[in-house]
Order: sequence, then structure tokens, then C-alpha cells
Amino acid sequence: MFHFLQFAATRATLAIITLVMVSFIVFSLMELVPGDCAERYLAFKNTQGMQISVADIDAERARLGLDKPYIVRWGKWIVGAFHGEFGDSCILRVNIAQLLGEKFWISLAICLTSLLVAYMIAIPVGIISATSKSPIVNNSLRFVSYLGLAMPNFLLALMIMLFSTVVFGDSLTGLFSKEFRDAAWSYDRFIDFVSRAWLPIFILGWSATAFAIQTVRALMSDEVGKLYVLAAAARGVSGRRLLWRYPARHSLGPIINSLGFDLNRIFNELPIVALILTLTEAGALLIEALARSNDQQLAGAIIFMLTASIVGINFVTDIILALTDPRVRRSILG
Amino acid sequence: MTDTATVETTDANVDQSRKEAYFTAGQGQLIWSRFKKQRAAMIGAGVLLALILSGMFAPFLTPYDPTIAGRNADYQNGAPQIPKFWDENGFSFRPFIYTYERTRSIETNFRWVSKVSREKRRYVVLFPEGDKYELFGMTFNTHLFGVDKGKIHLFGTDGTGKDIYSRTFHSINTSLAVGTIGVLLAFVLALIIGGISGYYGGWLDSVLQMLTDAVRTIPAIPLFMAIAAFIPATVSSEGRFFIISIILGFIGWPTLARRVRTHLLTERNQEYVLAAQLCGASSSHIIGRHLLPSFTSYIIVDLIISFPYMVLSETALSFIGLGLKEPVNSLGVMLQNVTKADVLLNYQWNFIPVIFFITLVLAFVFVGDGLRDAADPYSDNKK
Repeated sequence: MFHFLQFAATRATLAIITLVMVSFIVFSLMELVPGDCAERYLAFKNTQGMQISVADIDAERARLGLDKPYIVRWGKWIVGAFHGEFGDSCILRVNIAQLLGEKFWISLAICLTSLLVAYMIAIPVGIISATSKSPIVNNSLRFVSYLGLAMPNFLLALMIMLFSTVVFGDSLTGLFSKEFRDAAWSYDRFIDFVSRAWLPIFILGWSATAFAIQTVRALMSDEVGKLYVLAAAARGVSGRRLLWRYPARHSLGPIINSLGFDLNRIFNELPIVALILTLTEAGALLIEALARSNDQQLAGAIIFMLTASIVGINFVTDIILALTDPRVRRSILG
Repeated sequence: MTDTATVETTDANVDQSRKEAYFTAGQGQLIWSRFKKQRAAMIGAGVLLALILSGMFAPFLTPYDPTIAGRNADYQNGAPQIPKFWDENGFSFRPFIYTYERTRSIETNFRWVSKVSREKRRYVVLFPEGDKYELFGMTFNTHLFGVDKGKIHLFGTDGTGKDIYSRTFHSINTSLAVGTIGVLLAFVLALIIGGISGYYGGWLDSVLQMLTDAVRTIPAIPLFMAIAAFIPATVSSEGRFFIISIILGFIGWPTLARRVRTHLLTERNQEYVLAAQLCGASSSHIIGRHLLPSFTSYIIVDLIISFPYMVLSETALSFIGLGLKEPVNSLGVMLQNVTKADVLLNYQWNFIPVIFFITLVLAFVFVGDGLRDAADPYSDNKK
């Protein structure tokens, strides 16, 4: 038990160090933008007819704490970030945590669901394709996964939009119907959400599934030929039972380990898919902040939260792997 | 008796020379001989070569200038024109298209309405003279095909009347150029960082690995968007093109750097490295002359595999308006306006370029996969 705690503590420290490094990169990016919040606030007042002097800007900087050294401001930002507090966006003039709030969790829910769907499809299909000798099954699966790799999600989203507008006359965009957009969460709102969220989940899951099938297939075909599988078969274990209890268990380890990177890949596609499907969640907000309003505080907060959830997933999968894989468990539990 | 003996010896000779060829073959020859056996990869290579050539010779293969200079003001949002050989007015050996006329009168409520006049044919001609273009530093004005009167638009035109066919081919060129610069830059960075990390090891390796991991954890495209948002609006479109390629390279290095490091870590303890060190060779000499050549082929494979991701990132970035901008042509630039309901419902030919890009990316994926299998010396034993 002590070893396990030690292992968990080391992993947690590593995760936090990674997050600190990420926060430094993100914070530096935010700082590189020409013009700071003080200038922006006062530029706004200027448009309202007030006379602004350099002294006013300096006073505003002192009020916002922008005159402090870089490292101090970074320290303040990161302490806030770990508390889920990112300050105010000086373009939208609202609290970022409030603005993001629910939207971020919706994005995360969509991405995690599509990851789940991807593996629910990929594990059985990958196992079948690794063990099947039929060239038709193999080649068609190969083709489908290549198509998943070559067709970026946003092109797929465009194609589905094109198809649905031509056939159904509705572009299937948005996350909520009009009457539920600003309503509080209720059963009806949830049903409405699910009835619209399946499309982004499908689109985001598309290439994730293709990747996952390839991974499962490669891992399974490495394991299937090994002697312990043959030995189990010789003992009379056969069919699905043989595959599930022997090679599949072995090949699942690396898959659990790579979940964080799969999530990373899905986050990559999220903003653009969100833009095409006009979803009102964090991905769309990120594009809005970067491409339109140039709101670096908001963008930095979103990128940090996305990365934090990847680091979180990596930590959780490490722990799960340590608990489920007897080899790892023994090496740390002693 | 003697006959069979000679036959046997010649057989043995042939066998011997084949073996000799196998044992003395260079890395490249071995990879090529394994690559040739894979049908999908060979088809991919053929398609890829054709696309690269058509990108390079795009100005010659396409009839019009892809920028606003080559627009057809009389045929905006025009449908694709497919050359025909015959219609109700008779047969012609030369393919032809119809003339579109734009009229506006009291009958059309004073709006411009285009009308096809099936009597007025426009014949397709080969090697007409048209817009000037530069190829290999020389100026030409001959194009592969065109029509005798007016203009021909095989894939239709977009909202400003630019020829989609011409733009598609030019944008293949842009995508390949962006990808090449990005991949090369990522490659150089990966070699330096991964090389130092793998060769020296120790604490330097740990620090560099943590940095690489941190960069790898941040989702690439959001990071990419955040950096691209810095490009000032005043930068010219050519300047943007280079900046975007450089950003692509700066974000693409971690994966490659990891591979380089792993290779180096296994290779640096080999005896030939020790021998070189004992002879007094410097570190840079050992890395450059002995270690890198030991896995050049793997690096080339990695580069080709990462190429389509560069192209797709550029497309995604341009699509949301943070990447390339007009008048540079790229798929992302061309797709900027297609999410409008108007385009989705009425002008679907704006999607034609997508087919070319899926083909391009698929070809790269097939070639990359084939090369990876071919570069793996154990791939023969696996099957």
C-alpha cells in the first residue's frame, strides 16, 4: 500500500510539474499579445469621450497589478488557474470562469463520450480484424480506417452538413433548440441536448475510431501469435473466451495508457467542428476568442483547461493501469 | 548428364548472384525492393507523383489565373461546364460547351439573369494563349486547354467568379509547399533537440524530455491557433505563408524528436560508436557521420508520415481564417465560405476540391505506410 501511495504521489507530482510548464507556455503566449488590459480598458473609455493620458494608463496598470514583474504575474495566474479562477476577460468584461463554466463541461462531456464510443466500436472490431483470416474483412476494415485517417473531421462535418441540407433541408447544427438555449438543466433540456449532440459526438468519434481500430488491431496481432495463447488453446479454451481472457487482456494495457493522447487528438478537432456545427461550447468560444476578438485571456484559460483535462486523464489512466495490470501492480505494491 | 549438370550450375550461379545482390544491396535498394511488392503503396506512390507534378505544373495545366485577376465577372457562382461531343444540334469531333449570356431587362425585374444559349457553341482548343505565368523562372502564356470564345470552367466558379478548377490545382502546390517547409523545419528541430537529448542522456535528457512532453500535451491545433493569432494583419499574404509554415514546423517537432532520441539511445552504446570515440572523433562528428546515417531511412519514413498532418493542419487553420489568406490559394482558403446555407443549398460544386485533397492525403498515408513496412527489416519475417 505504501508503495502504491508513493507511486501515486510521484505521478501526481509529475502531472503538476507538466501543468506548471504548460501554464508557463500558455501565459507567455498571452503576454506576447501587443497591448495589455489597462490599455484596452482605457481605449474603451477613450471612445466614450474621455481624455486619456500616459499617467492614467500607468495608474490602471498599477490597479490591475500589471506593473509587477513577469514571474510574479505568472505565479498569480497559475495559483488562480489551479483554483479554477482565471480573472476577467478584458474584452468581454466578464469573469472567465463564469463565462466558461458549463460550456467547458459540455465540451468535455462531448469529447469523452466520443472517445468512449470510439473504443466501444474499436475494441471488438479491432479484435475481429486481428484474428480474422478473411481478406474481405481485413481489406474493408483497412480501407475504412484509412478513410478515417485521411478525411479530417471538419471535412466530414462539412460533408454531413451538405448532405443533410440537400436531403433533409436542415443543417443539423447547434447544441440546443431555441427554447432550451438559456434554460436551466432539466430532463427535457437534457433530452434536447442528446438529440442534437449525437452529431458532434459521431464526427469527433470518427477519426478517433479509425485510430483506435488500428491500435487495437496492431496490439492484438502481436499478442495472438504468442505461445501462451497457443497453450491456452491446447488446454481447451476456445472462441471468444480464449480471446478475451488471454490476448485481449494483455493488449488493453497500452490502450488505456494512450487514452490521454486520443483525447488530445479529439481536442484538436473540437474547435473547428464546433465552428462548423455552430456549437455553443468551449471550442467555439476558443475560435471566437482567437480569430475574432483576439481575447487572449479567454483563449489562454480554455487552452489551459483542455490541457489540464488531458494531464488529468493521463494521471487517472496511470493509476488504473497500476491497479489492473498485475505486473505493474506487483512492481509497486511489492 | 552433362546438360543437366550445366543447367544446375547456371541455376546455382543465378541463385548465388541473387544472394550476392541481396547481401551487397544498400539500405535504399532493400527498401525499394520491399516497397515494390506492396500494391496499395505503389498505387499511392503513382497517384502522389501525378498530384505533385500537377501541382508543380498547375499554371500550365489550368486555363486561368487563380487569383482575382483571372475571374470571370460574367459567370459568378457558375455551375461546372462539362465539355460535350454531341447534343440535339448535331455531333462535333471537337468537344464544346455552351455560351452563357447575362441579361437584365424589365422581364427579369432588372436583375442579372444568366441564360444558356445552346446554339452558340464554344469549342475546346488545345494550347491557347492566355494569362501570363512564371514557371522555373521563365514567363509563359500558353495553357494546356481553353475555349475559342469566352471562358471554360470545368469545376464551376465561386462567388467572385474565380475558376475553381484553376484554384484547386494551384492550391495543391501551396499545400505541398507549406507541408515541405513545415516538415523540414520540424525535422531540423527534432534532430537538434532529439539528438542532444539522446546522445548526452543524463539530466539534460530528462529536462528536454519533460519539455517535449509538455509541448506534446497541449492540443496542437488550439496552440497553433493561439500562435497564429499573433500574426499582424499588415503582413503580406506571402509573408503569412512563410510564418504559417514556420509555426507548423515549430509545433510538429516533439513527436519526431522523441523518435530520434529513442534511436540514438539504443545506437549510442554500440561498439562502432565506442570505436569512433577511442579514435578521438568529436561528438558532432559521431552524431553526424555515424549515428544519423544509421537510421536515415526511418527518419525519411517518419517525415512522409507526418506530412499529411501538416497539410491538414494548414487547411484547418486557413479554414477558420487564421491561416493563409487570399490571394494565396489553399484548400482551407477555398472552403472558407462554404458553410453558408446559400452555398450548401445552391452551389455544391465548391466542394469539388475536397475530393483532390482526400486523394492527396490518402496517397501520402498509403505511401507512408508502405514505406514504414518496407523500412522495417523484419517485415518479411512477420508474414
